[in-house]
Amino acid sequence: MRTALAITNVELRRFLADRSNIFFVFVFPLLLVLFIGSQFGGGSSGRVALVGAGDLADDLVTALESDHVGVTRVGLDEGRELVARGRADVAVVVPAEANGAYAAGEDLTVQVVVGNQAQSQTTEQRVATALGDLALRQGQVAALAGAGLDAEAARAALAAAGALVQPARLEVTNVSEIAQEFAGLGQFDYGATSNLILFVFLISLAGSTTLIQSRRLGVTRRTLAAPVSTGQAVGGQALARLAIASFQGAYIMAMSSLLFGVEWGNVALALLILVVFALVAAGAAMIVGSAIDNEAAAGGLGVGLGLVLGALGGAMYPIELFPDTLRRVAMATPHAWASQAFADIQRHGRGLVEILPELGVLAAYAAVLIAIGAWLLRRSLARAI
Amino acid sequence: MTRDTAPHPATDGPGDVLVATDLVRRFGDLVAVDGVSFRIAPGETYGLLGPNGAGKTTTISMVAGLLAADAGTVTILGRPVGPHRIDVKRHVGLVPQDLAIYPELSARENLLFFGRLQGMGGKELRHRVDEVLEIVGLADRAKDATKEYSGGMKRRLNIGIGLLHSPTLLILDEPTVGVDPQSRNAILESVEALSGEGMAVLYTTHYMEEAERLCDRIAIIDSGRVQAEGTRDELVRLTGELDRIRLTGTGDVAAAAEAVRALDAVDHADADRHSLLLVVRDAPTAVAAIVTAATRAGMSLADVEITRPNLESVFLHLTGKALRD
Repeated sequence: MRTALAITNVELRRFLADRSNIFFVFVFPLLLVLFIGSQFGGGSSGRVALVGAGDLADDLVTALESDHVGVTRVGLDEGRELVARGRADVAVVVPAEANGAYAAGEDLTVQVVVGNQAQSQTTEQRVATALGDLALRQGQVAALAGAGLDAEAARAALAAAGALVQPARLEVTNVSEIAQEFAGLGQFDYGATSNLILFVFLISLAGSTTLIQSRRLGVTRRTLAAPVSTGQAVGGQALARLAIASFQGAYIMAMSSLLFGVEWGNVALALLILVVFALVAAGAAMIVGSAIDNEAAAGGLGVGLGLVLGALGGAMYPIELFPDTLRRVAMATPHAWASQAFADIQRHGRGLVEILPELGVLAAYAAVLIAIGAWLLRRSLARAI
Repeated sequence: MTRDTAPHPATDGPGDVLVATDLVRRFGDLVAVDGVSFRIAPGETYGLLGPNGAGKTTTISMVAGLLAADAGTVTILGRPVGPHRIDVKRHVGLVPQDLAIYPELSARENLLFFGRLQGMGGKELRHRVDEVLEIVGLADRAKDATKEYSGGMKRRLNIGIGLLHSPTLLILDEPTVGVDPQSRNAILESVEALSGEGMAVLYTTHYMEEAERLCDRIAIIDSGRVQAEGTRDELVRLTGELDRIRLTGTGDVAAAAEAVRALDAVDHADADRHSLLLVVRDAPTAVAAIVTAATRAGMSLADVEITRPNLESVFLHLTGKALRD
């Protein structure tokens, strides 16, 4: 075991010492998580550029921010530019006369410039709702003041009355299967899971070239000239592939959680899925690195295979959105099973028992691929001598 | 001592580190090694001299336990060697012809890794790594990635890894291929020092000068067979060639020729106007008497040049082809 760990340790060091990995292992996956998350846009409640001053403007800012809408107070030109550049969903222009109408509890008019973002219509609706609430409240105050009540006392009475009433709660249940499948998914959750699956496999296959390099350099021959059995050498390399795959996955889990607040559900189960999937990737890497003697060919095949299987297995586009036939084909890839297992714990809060079928299929994949990989690796060691 | 008369070391001699007996290895129809036998004593440097493709690397692969022999045996310290004989490999340090090091890692990291494969660890390993870095002259570059090293530095590290676990037998497979003269000399000096410390060394090369300089005994190998084995002088005697001495100068060259012909050591003498070419037995011993006789006969000497048959001549004599073919 000590020998196998020494081989694992040195392979992991080589993996980390490779400068090209700094981008592809540490930076690129997180960029993709960010990119995919920004496409989903689930967590954002809108961005408003607000132009104008006065009580109405101040109250509108308070109302929008309490509804989790981001508000930036700007001048007119800047507000228009922000909307034009897509940095704000809408610009709200509050004219000076609107403040007077607002104070008097009369009808008021504001100008809203709506952008062409997917989020813009929703944000416009939020602004309209906030303005409606404010106008209604002011109308109530004006009515009470007209009945002879002091304005401040009217506001206090309305606030006290509001506290006594339990507001009506609206729950919308979407009966669409797809909507239910993605219910509760955070903005970056899908991107993080899909990229974990994609990169664990991709980096493992691309890294299989180090096996070929070791044979070419004569390091494999030298290793076997030491008191190291073939089994130890094969075991060490298998463990090294597993360590690299697991490292990549754990890195994406940790960083996506820290940077993007991705929820992985039950972390222990998520790690279990990762390790079993990493075993699958390790077996595939052993096969590619042992069956092929040309580093460039193995690298190309590894990347190609990683991308194709990733796309087919739902690591680039949600498998739930695939047509039925393609979804059945996708289930031939380990990626799809890993994706399903992550979805079960991440989106639906399921436990170990519920994900056992997925884990079982992944374990079967791992057993077959590692067995073939070990056999090919033994043969490649003989070639190295 | 040709192959037909060479002793077959079927059993270990007293204290022999390595005994290889009638090794045979085939690759398909090709017989890469065909009945090779030799033995190495402690502190002895044994050379396998032959051209590329002669079977040297296949032989050392069997000796190092990397390849199983189709026939024949290898023992190290009396214990059989083979791919599944793991423990005996602890006694062997292999310095392969390839630069078998990880280019991304530093010299220290490479040494630590291969040390762990040898079962070393902890303070013992770290201490030994420091020692080896000093021995191979890489202590000041120990933390640099080896891909930044010169060819000679990489070769020195390659040797250092072989030495790390203080093996009883060090096998060096063409360790100076592609090395600059300065590094080459440093490597040869290292091998001489190790041999002087009692380490048995198996050295393969196709450079005649290295074999002559380093090896106590040499096996000339070609087409998978040991063509002859012995010390350098023993091998040279196999050719039947005699030494040559050329005397250059002025005066009575013809009289000098007559005078040296009378000496027992001189087999033949040819004179021209300013020089005298002699074929002699044991030139280093005979040269003093020859110079005296020529001078007394009236020749004023400007230069004396001795040429002795070398291993190149031996190889040509035994195989009918030049060593570098």
